[in-house]
Amino acid sequence: MGLMRRSVGAMTNAHGPRMHFARLAPEVHRALAGVEAAAKKDLDPTLVELIKIRASQLNRCAFCIDMHTKDALAGGERPERVHLLNAWEEAAGYYTDRERAALALTEAVTVLTDGFVPDEVWARAAEHFEETELAHVLGVIVAINAWNRIGVTTRMTPGTYRAAPVKH
Amino acid sequence: MSSPRQGKLPAEVYQAMYAATGAAKKGLDPALVELILIRASQLNHCAYCIDMHIKDALAGGEREERIHLLAAWEEATGIYTEAERAALALTEAVTVLTDGFVPDEVYARAAEHFDPTQLSHLVSLIGVINFWNRFNVAFRTPPGHQR
Repeated sequence: MGLMRRSVGAMTNAHGPRMHFARLAPEVHRALAGVEAAAKKDLDPTLVELIKIRASQLNRCAFCIDMHTKDALAGGERPERVHLLNAWEEAAGYYTDRERAALALTEAVTVLTDGFVPDEVWARAAEHFEETELAHVLGVIVAINAWNRIGVTTRMTPGTYRAAPVKH
Repeated sequence: MSSPRQGKLPAEVYQAMYAATGAAKKGLDPALVELILIRASQLNHCAYCIDMHIKDALAGGEREERIHLLAAWEEATGIYTEAERAALALTEAVTVLTDGFVPDEVYARAAEHFDPTQLSHLVSLIGVINFWNRFNVAFRTPPGHQR
């Protein structure tokens, strides 16, 4: 996936937050939250968290992984399904075909620079989601990619997030 | 997609690799060992190995957060020590040789944190987990049976 060598340049742990995005661009922040809320409102919350965690892993957004793994677990997700997301294609028996189709779409849309969104990936997603749902799944993928990019660029620090005990 | 393939290692190879794994771990911090094993398994998409090593890490007292954040350890400020970060960078380089070999900076950074004996054990450990990852991905060993 060509992501590894990025480590070479950035070797410092002096890696604190660079800016407080929500404070500096509150309208943008609120609007993005609105996009996310609109995208996910009719989707299965379990699927939404899987999509968010997987995109955050690919984009290496530590803050986002921390938030969404905690939200998923607080929402009743099984730890094994969270742990195996890094290898979901090889994790037979852990994800439904519908979840797998959504995860494949998540990977393609997240890593556009590695082959765009192949027809097979799109067709597979279209088999499992009707058009309106699919548009919303795409909305969730795009929204989490926006958050990931803000989280990584501004170096939001992970570890402090606490999930609300009952979500959704 | 992934139905298991009933592959089996020749008994002698299995025993030798098992012994090599034990030998490679000697003198290394068990918490660090599991981080390396999990990270290599993530990169190689070995579901069986991720399942095994996350369970081992948790059984050994590792924090959930440090496991979840491994996929973004470079960005996870304050979660891993400098020695762990150096070992993880080495793990990524040795695991994904096809993306630039093992750069001098990566090796030098590891050598700052580990003495030559430890470093040779680290590289060995990365080598053996890559063997297990490849074996289990090739044979599609299903995850979920580890306790």
